[in-house]
Amino acid sequence: MPNDKNSQKIVDIIKNAARKHSLFVLAYGTGCGAIEIPPTMTSRYDAERFGIRGMATPRQADVLLVTGYLATKTLKRVIRAYEQMQDPKYVIGFGSCTINGGMYWDSYNTIKLLDKYIPVDVYINGCMPRPEAVITGFIELQKLIAEGKADGATKYKENLDWYRANQKKVIKNWNMPDYNW
Amino acid sequence: MTENSLDKEQQIVNHLVGTFQNLTGKVKRNRRIEVSIEKKQITSVLNYVKDHLGFIHFSHMSCVDWLEDGYFELVYILWSPEQKIQLLVKALVDRENASVENADMIWRQLNTYQREIREMFGVNFIGMKGDKEFILEDWDNMPPMRRDFNTVDYIQEVYFERPGREDAQNVRETISKRTGEEIPEVATKYSRD
Amino acid sequence: MDTNSWISILGFIATVVLAFTVGVSYGGIVRKITARIQNRVGPPVYQNFFDIFKLYSKSTAVNHGWMQHLGPAFAITASVTSLMFIPVLNGQGEFWFANLNFKGDLIFLLYMMVFGSLGMALGAGQTGNPNSAIGVSRGLSQMVGYEIPWVLALVALMLQTKSTSITGIMDYQIAHGTWMMFESPLAFIAALMAMLGMFHYAPFDVTFAPAELSSGPASEFGGKYLAMMMTSGSIFAFVKLALFVDIFMGGASNLIMLVVKTFLLYMVPVLYGIVSPRYRTEQSIRYFWGWPTLIGVLGVLYVVFVR
Repeated sequence: MPNDKNSQKIVDIIKNAARKHSLFVLAYGTGCGAIEIPPTMTSRYDAERFGIRGMATPRQADVLLVTGYLATKTLKRVIRAYEQMQDPKYVIGFGSCTINGGMYWDSYNTIKLLDKYIPVDVYINGCMPRPEAVITGFIELQKLIAEGKADGATKYKENLDWYRANQKKVIKNWNMPDYNW
Repeated sequence: MTENSLDKEQQIVNHLVGTFQNLTGKVKRNRRIEVSIEKKQITSVLNYVKDHLGFIHFSHMSCVDWLEDGYFELVYILWSPEQKIQLLVKALVDRENASVENADMIWRQLNTYQREIREMFGVNFIGMKGDKEFILEDWDNMPPMRRDFNTVDYIQEVYFERPGREDAQNVRETISKRTGEEIPEVATKYSRD
Repeated sequence: MDTNSWISILGFIATVVLAFTVGVSYGGIVRKITARIQNRVGPPVYQNFFDIFKLYSKSTAVNHGWMQHLGPAFAITASVTSLMFIPVLNGQGEFWFANLNFKGDLIFLLYMMVFGSLGMALGAGQTGNPNSAIGVSRGLSQMVGYEIPWVLALVALMLQTKSTSITGIMDYQIAHGTWMMFESPLAFIAALMAMLGMFHYAPFDVTFAPAELSSGPASEFGGKYLAMMMTSGSIFAFVKLALFVDIFMGGASNLIMLVVKTFLLYMVPVLYGIVSPRYRTEQSIRYFWGWPTLIGVLGVLYVVFVR
């Protein structure tokens, strides 16, 4: 196994295989997208067969699923939830609202581009994406993880100043705790 | 819709016009009355129709921004379950330093609506309790539902825009040109462009 | 050290590995069974191994104070220590994997089995998460509920076999050629009903209720701590099942019998849980202080007066 920068070590391959097959999801149900999560998880589409499982708190979760538009007020909570998650962590942007604002593109209180505020690994487009699309998005994320390319959290740490500047531009009263990851 | 059925509504209008000065009212249609009052009469009119005319149910309160005339119009929508009549009470308020008497002692749920209007239009309700922030958080600009608030300028200043959206081209047309798909007539008829 | 010490140390390690493997596999099988009952495909049976391995490979950067770091350690210590007192197999008159055994170890085990939960409670209490606090208080209340029928059942067994050690009870069963679940059925029923609460499956999952408490005491524990808790939970499930098999079903003479007996026993809380919604805390306590306690008392009286 060549050990240059672009290839993974054997340990990483094993770790990534385990991470790929076990995704604990924190579904941050903003907007209308939250209604697509129950059918994805239950009998009809059964995301659990891919190892995808809902988790109740950010501390336990691997994947943050942002399911729709984010008001600036909600963005603050999403950032807090994201920063409480433990590495390695991934974000899936769900629906056109997270991609370019969608039908809320001219709303005074809704952010348009989610990836300017937190790093997004996979986008699922559609308004709303159906459960099939959601599962496809998860499989895409699994592929990225197996290749070691889902490194949004690393980017976030490296470019923290840039992300913080963007976040503080919309969240004027910044009174958030610093998490020591 | 017989003539008889409007008698009840007309009676209420006549009664109100006779009771209050500077009150104009008319029957909009079956079961719907609209009265316009002055802003200092708001609490007394609301109290009166609640206590004496049976409009005990408060349905909604909203605000209309008449930018050209320089007024906010507050609209209180009431309902009488006995007579099955809807009453719209309208009052005009100056846009500059708009302030009205608080009315949430008549219906407690008015407090919620008033707080929303205070936040979204900047109408000050004198003597109202409740936090200054209601829906918005850390908002330091002009109240956003005012018509002179330029939303597009604001979002271009504060938020990012995904490249490719600025020319506002008809995406469907572009794709159909590329793929040779025919757009059905229904789609073009109801298109925004 | 002499050869016997080395053999017993190897025995310890083998027991822990066995308990971990069996416990985690059972967890995976339960998820599969749940999925099939809900008409889903479900995750593969080895899914829980992936989950635990992944959680061990995660970073853990949560600091609320030293008790929070000790909580999961307490839980896993309690599980492994309890495991040391469980004779896993019984051969022809001798006990394999007998590990640590002494007179009165059943009473010691009663305390030891609570120790892990108390450690977790202290750890979860320090995180300051309100969900954890509610979960801890619910869990301890429920423990007060199911401990009573459970202890009554054990008292009945101890009275009947005139022994307070697990090996003593197993000896009694071998000597009389019968199982305690037939010898003293009332005690078995009371213990079985208490077991429903011990496994924290629905309808007694008030502690971890993910929908209302966001996993309760575990809500501030992520990464390696969650992995430790899952490991400890899997081992502890095996401890409880093996203990039940030992004292009520005559123990197991080989590993296959052990797996068959524990699996059948495990299906009781699992299948009861899958088809049940969740109780409220006071309903759960009322359940345990009702029929199970009455049956436990009757079981003790039966042993004292009839036999």
